[in-house]
Amino acid sequence: MQEGDLRARFRQGDPDAVRSVYRSHGRLVYAVAYRVLGDRGLAEEATQLTFVKAWRAAQSFDESRELGPWLAAIARRVAIDLYRREALRTADPIESVPAADPSLVAAPQSAEAIYDVWEVRQAVAELPADEQEVVRLQHLDGFTHAQIAERLGVAVGTVKSRSFRAHKRLATMLGHLRE
Amino acid sequence: MSTPDDDRISYLAGEPVDALTPQERAELDELRTLLESPATWEEPDSGLEDLVVSAIAAEAQRATAVEPAPEKPKAQSIWSRWRPRRPTLAFGGLATAAAAIAVAVVIAVGSNTAQPLQFAMVVSGTSLAPGAHGNATLTKTESGWRIELAATGLPHLANGRYYQAWLKNSAGILVPVGTFNDAKQVTLWSGAPVTQFRMFSVTEQLANGNPVSSGRRVLVGIAHPVH
Repeated sequence: MQEGDLRARFRQGDPDAVRSVYRSHGRLVYAVAYRVLGDRGLAEEATQLTFVKAWRAAQSFDESRELGPWLAAIARRVAIDLYRREALRTADPIESVPAADPSLVAAPQSAEAIYDVWEVRQAVAELPADEQEVVRLQHLDGFTHAQIAERLGVAVGTVKSRSFRAHKRLATMLGHLRE
Repeated sequence: MSTPDDDRISYLAGEPVDALTPQERAELDELRTLLESPATWEEPDSGLEDLVVSAIAAEAQRATAVEPAPEKPKAQSIWSRWRPRRPTLAFGGLATAAAAIAVAVVIAVGSNTAQPLQFAMVVSGTSLAPGAHGNATLTKTESGWRIELAATGLPHLANGRYYQAWLKNSAGILVPVGTFNDAKQVTLWSGAPVTQFRMFSVTEQLANGNPVSSGRRVLVGIAHPVH
């Protein structure tokens, strides 16, 4: 589906076009929402609202712009609104809230920080599956190379190779974030 | 001998590296923080795509609903510009207004919340049933929420297979609201409040005694209040 035709059909609510836009950007929108809200249910609600708002605004969208950053900006605003709504609903004294409660740790993020989440998420998604798995086990789960090797049933050297290749790709893809 | 790029890659990968400036370390630490963030790795529920499609379908339907044409103001006679304005309701008009107020009072007394008493939704088929579509109204009654579903494009199920309808809230809690064989005209009931459980789905189930959702969603929708 051509980009212009896709947007026109998205604006008409064509289910195929909506699915196509969701499949190309839905996970990224969700990542932005989750970064702000720290809660799966709220992040899913924010994702739905983001796509509805994008649909409403599709006719005014400047086609010279990239769809991704536009959706990220909408997702951030929607997530912040939901964050504030939830903050107003939860009227407990702050001392009674567990330290790890998402409402405490997930404060609204700056636009730049949100866009960084988007870029990192996209870069990780572009890694080959075996490298992505090593990066996930290493950074998200905090395993050492030896522990990863044992979990995956491969040699430590293999893990180190995959790790180096993965981080080289990430450094190349994400180097512009700090320019 | 390692290159500066190799040093940055190694540091990003979590290995000890001495030959980096504090600024380089700080920048790479920010990237590592993002790689460690659950937001980078969390995957949305597989059903979210269908909910997004359904939500936009509902918006599109509302947007294309014909708005009644605004009434033209009645032409005023010269006299009405000079006479003081007085209420001109006829007796019948007063009776109608009183009846409307009485109905509103009954509704207010019968309800312990200020929320709408009726919700509606467009339901859309999922990738398992792309041709299915329909709508539903959800009405609060003394017995619970009555859900009247009318959907086409789903085959009649029998011989040990049936449909199960569910409502889900934002925390992902699923509540069963009824089983049926044909979706063309179904009345379902929910004891859970639609005001909080607004995500609707229908799954295909096997009559094997297992009450949990099969995950085979065929129809989804999001309930919106009717104003």
